[in-house]
Amino acid sequence: MVWTWKRYLDPATGWRCLPELDGRGMTKITAVEAPNAKTVVFKLERAAGLFLATMARADCGASAIYHRSSLGPDGKWKEPVGTGPYKLLEWKKGQYVDLQRFDGYASLPGPRDGYTGGKKAEVEKVRFMVIPDEAAAKAALYSGAIDVFPEARSADVAELKANPQAKVDVVPAMGMIALLIQTRDPLLKDARIRKALALALDMPEMASAVTDGLSKPNSSAIPSSSPFYSAVHATGFKRDIAQAKKLLAEAGYAGQPIKMLTNKRYTVCFDAAVLAQAMAAEAGIKIDLEVLDWATQLDRYTKGDYQTMAFTYSARLDPSLSYEMISGPKATQPRKVWDDAFVQTRLAESMQTSDRARRQTLFDELHRKMMDDVPIIVLFNGTDAVGMRKSLTGYKSWAAAKPRLWNVK
Amino acid sequence: MIGYIARRVAMALPTLLLVGIAVFTLMRLIPGDPAQLMLGDAADADSLARLRERLGLDQALPLQFLRWLTQVVQGDFGHSITNGLAVLPLVWERFQVSAGIVLIAVALAALVAVPAGLLAAWRQNRPLDVIIVAGATLLLSIPSFWLGLLLLLLFGLKLGWLPVVGYVAMGDDFGQGLLYVLLPIITLVMIETGVLTRMSRASAIEVLRLEYVTHARAKGVPEWQVLLRHVLPNAFAPTLTLIGLILGNLLGGIAVLETVFTLPGLGRLLVDAIYARDYPVVQGVMLFTALIYVLINLIVDLCYPIFDPRVAAQ
Amino acid sequence: MKLRMNALIGGVLIATMLSLALLALVWTPFDPMQLSLRAKLQPPSAAHWLGTDEFGRDVLSRAMAGAATSCLVAGLTVLFAVTTGTLIGVLTGFVRGWADRILMAFNDALLAFPGILLALGVMVVVGANKYGIIIALGLAYAPTVVRVVRGTVLSLREKEYVEASRMIGNPEWLTMWRHVLPNCIAPVAVLTTSMFGWVLLSESALSFLGLGVPPPAPTWGNMLASGRPYMQSAVWLGLVPGLCIALTLLGINLLGDAVRDRLDPRMSRA
Repeated sequence: MVWTWKRYLDPATGWRCLPELDGRGMTKITAVEAPNAKTVVFKLERAAGLFLATMARADCGASAIYHRSSLGPDGKWKEPVGTGPYKLLEWKKGQYVDLQRFDGYASLPGPRDGYTGGKKAEVEKVRFMVIPDEAAAKAALYSGAIDVFPEARSADVAELKANPQAKVDVVPAMGMIALLIQTRDPLLKDARIRKALALALDMPEMASAVTDGLSKPNSSAIPSSSPFYSAVHATGFKRDIAQAKKLLAEAGYAGQPIKMLTNKRYTVCFDAAVLAQAMAAEAGIKIDLEVLDWATQLDRYTKGDYQTMAFTYSARLDPSLSYEMISGPKATQPRKVWDDAFVQTRLAESMQTSDRARRQTLFDELHRKMMDDVPIIVLFNGTDAVGMRKSLTGYKSWAAAKPRLWNVK
Repeated sequence: MIGYIARRVAMALPTLLLVGIAVFTLMRLIPGDPAQLMLGDAADADSLARLRERLGLDQALPLQFLRWLTQVVQGDFGHSITNGLAVLPLVWERFQVSAGIVLIAVALAALVAVPAGLLAAWRQNRPLDVIIVAGATLLLSIPSFWLGLLLLLLFGLKLGWLPVVGYVAMGDDFGQGLLYVLLPIITLVMIETGVLTRMSRASAIEVLRLEYVTHARAKGVPEWQVLLRHVLPNAFAPTLTLIGLILGNLLGGIAVLETVFTLPGLGRLLVDAIYARDYPVVQGVMLFTALIYVLINLIVDLCYPIFDPRVAAQ
Repeated sequence: MKLRMNALIGGVLIATMLSLALLALVWTPFDPMQLSLRAKLQPPSAAHWLGTDEFGRDVLSRAMAGAATSCLVAGLTVLFAVTTGTLIGVLTGFVRGWADRILMAFNDALLAFPGILLALGVMVVVGANKYGIIIALGLAYAPTVVRVVRGTVLSLREKEYVEASRMIGNPEWLTMWRHVLPNCIAPVAVLTTSMFGWVLLSESALSFLGLGVPPPAPTWGNMLASGRPYMQSAVWLGLVPGLCIALTLLGINLLGDAVRDRLDPRMSRA
C-alpha cells in the first residue's frame, strides 16, 4: 500500500488529486509508513477534515490500491492487480470490459457494509458493455441482452416496474440539478430578480415531473441524503407568484428576455429548463431557451458566459465539497456561481476543522445566506434508478451511483 | 491507364488538403474543450492545464496543424483524445463495419432494382409498370431511420427474432454476426431498391426507344435477347453513376442507422467524436472519407467505358 | 393517364401538408408548446386526436407546427442552395483556366464535407436555430446544383445562338443572362423538386442525431428523436412524425415526377 501511495504522490504519474495533497491544496502528505503488516500511517502537515473524503473521490480513482506486480519492469501497465473480487480479463475500448472472478479473494465475514465486509463474487464473469444510446440500452434490457442497466431514466421507472421481466432499484443520488444564475449579468445582478425567479417556480411539481416522482425537491446545495442535511437545509423556496411579481416590479423588470442554456444530453437538464420556462412565465418572467450540445455548454459554464443555465453537478460526498463546487472567486474561477467573502471564510473553516457540530453550524449559516443571495436555484438531487432483470438477486444501489456487482446472482 | 489514374489522384490532392484545413479550423472554432469534457464539472484549472499539455492542445494552432499534417503524410493519423487508440486502425475497423453493410445492401438492391426497372420499362405504362414505380416511389419516401426503428420494434422487440443491440463481426462468428447486420441491411436494401429501380427504369426507357433496339427487333431477335444483350448493358451506365453517388453519400448518412441499430460504424464514430471534441478522430475520419469518395468516383468513371462504348470513344 | 394519377395523388398530399402548415401559423387545436404534466403520454383520444407527448403537449398541434417549420426550413434552404448554386454554376461554366479549377476544388471539398460537422459548425457560429440549419444545409446542397448547372452550361456553351450572341458583340454576362440561364431552368427545376425531399430528410436526420432546430420548438425530425425512447410505451410519438415525413416525401416525389414528365418527356431521369 505504501508503494501505491508513493506512486500516486509522484508528480510524474499525473494523479488527478495530487494538487490537493501535496501542499498546494488542503494539506500535504509528508509521509506514508507501514509500521506493521496490518497498519498504515499517513502523516499530514496540517489538519484536514476532508482527508478521507478526498481519498474516496470517484474522480481520484477512489485511490484504489494495486500491487506492484501490476507494472512490468519497464514501469508500464502489465495487468492490474487490485484488491477486489474480480480481475480484468479483457478491455475492448469503446465496446466492453470483461471481468473474471478471482478465486483467491477473501473478504471479512458478515453482511455487506460497503467497506470490507461481506463481498462474494457470485457470478463467474461480468461484462460492462458500452451502449452509448439510452433507448438502445433499455431495449437490450427487455430483450435479455443485458442484465443490469445502471443509468435508467426516471421516466422509464414506471415502465420498467410494469414489465414482467424487469425490476427497478431506486436510491437517492448525491448529484445536484440546479439553475445557475450569473450574478455579474447586468440584468440579473439584482438579487430581487433572482429571488423572484426562485419564487416563481413550483419546486415540488418540478421535482416530481422531471424525475417522475422519484426525487423530492431540495433547495440546499447539500444533498438530502447527507448526514449534515438538517432542518435548516430542509427549508427551501415556496412558490409565491404574488411576491415574485412584487419583487419584479420593485426591481423594475420590464419583461426583458432572460436566456437559459440547456442541453439534450442530460434529459433532466432539458426537462427542468422547459418546466422552468413555463413556470416563470406565470410570474411574468420571459425565459428564452437555448439548447446547446454538452461540450459547448460545459465551455460556457467554465467561462461563466451565460445568463442562466440548467446544469447538473456530479456527486459530492461531503458538504464542504458541495459548497466549494459552487463558490469561489470569479476572477480566477469564472465557473463559480457564488463569489462572496463571507462564504469563503466559512467554507475554508469547514474544511479545516473536523468538529462535527461546528461544521453543521457553518453549513447552516451558508444555507441561509444562499437563500438570501440566490446565486443558484437548486432544484433537487438526482435519483439513481437501476433497471435489472427480475431473475437478478442481491443488487443494491448506493449513493455514489457506481454499480457494484459482487453478491449479485 | 496508370497515368490517368495518377493524374486523377493528383487532381484530388488540393481538394483533400482543403478539406483537411477546413475540418481542422472548424473543429477548433467550435467552443468546447476535449480536456474539459473528459474532466467534467469537477475540473480545476490545474488538472485542466496538465491534461491539455499531455494531449498537445496547448501549442499554437498552426503548429498543431503542421504537426498533424506531417504525421499524416507518414501514415500516422495520431491518437484518439478520448481513448488513446491509434486513429487509423480505429477508422479502418469502423469503416469495415459500415462498408460491409453498405456494400452488401447496395449490391442486393441493385440485384433487385435493375431487373425490376428493366421489366417496368419493357411494359411501360401497363399495370406492371405502374405497380413497380409506385412501390419504388413509396420505398424511397420513407426516412431510413424511421423504417429502421419500426423494423427493430417489430422483429427485435415484439417478435424477438433478432438482436436489438450490439454487434459481432462476421469475421469472428459468421452466424452470429449475420443476425446483427440483418436488420440494417434490410432497411437499406428497401430504400435503395426504390431509388435504383427508378433510375434503371428511366435509362432503360431511353435505350428502348433507340434505333438499334427497333432494328434488332425487326431482325427477329427474340425479345429476351434484345433486353439482355442490348438494353441492359447500356441502361446500366447511368445507374452505375448513381450507385457511385449513393455509396459516397451513404457513408456519411449511415450515422443515423448506426445510431438506431447501435453498430460500431464510421458514421457513429464521427458523430461521437464531434460531440467529444476528439480532434484527431474527426480529422482522421474526414480525411479517410474524402479519400474514399475520390476513389469511388474514380472507379465509377473507369467502369463507365465498359458499359457504354460511346463514352470510351471520347 | 399515369401522369395525371401521379400529379393528382402528389398534389393532394402536398396540398394537405401545405395547408396544415399554413393553418398552423394562425391556429392549432392546442398550443404546441403548452405543457400539461397531468396529461402526459396519452394515446390518441377524442380530446387529443393524435395523443400527447412526454410533456403533455398535443401531438397534432405539434405536428402541424412542425409542418410549418420543416416546410419553411426546407423551402428557404432549397432557395438558398439553388440561387447560389446556379449563379456559381453558370460562372464556372463560363470561366476557364485556373479560376475554374480553384472554384471546382472548393466545390468538391464542400461536397465531401460531412453534413454533421458542417451543421454543428455553422450552428455554433450562427446560433442553434432554423437559420443555422438553413445555411448549413444550403451550403451542403449548393455544390450539387453547381455541378448540374455547370454541366448544362458546358454543353450549351458551344451552341450556335451563344456563339451568335458573342459575335454580335454582347458582353459575356449578357450572353449568360439571356441565353444560357433560361436553358438551365429545366434541369434545375427537376433538381429542385428532388432537393426539397432530400433537405427535408436531412433536417430530420440531423434533428435525430441531436442537431437541427432544437426543441422545444417542434419539427418532425426532433419529434421523432424525442419519441424514440417511448417507442414501446407510446408508439404514436414516433409513428406520427415519421408518417408525416414519409407522406410529404411521397407527395414531393410524385409531383416531381409529373413536373419532370411535363418539362421533358424524353428525359425521364429518376
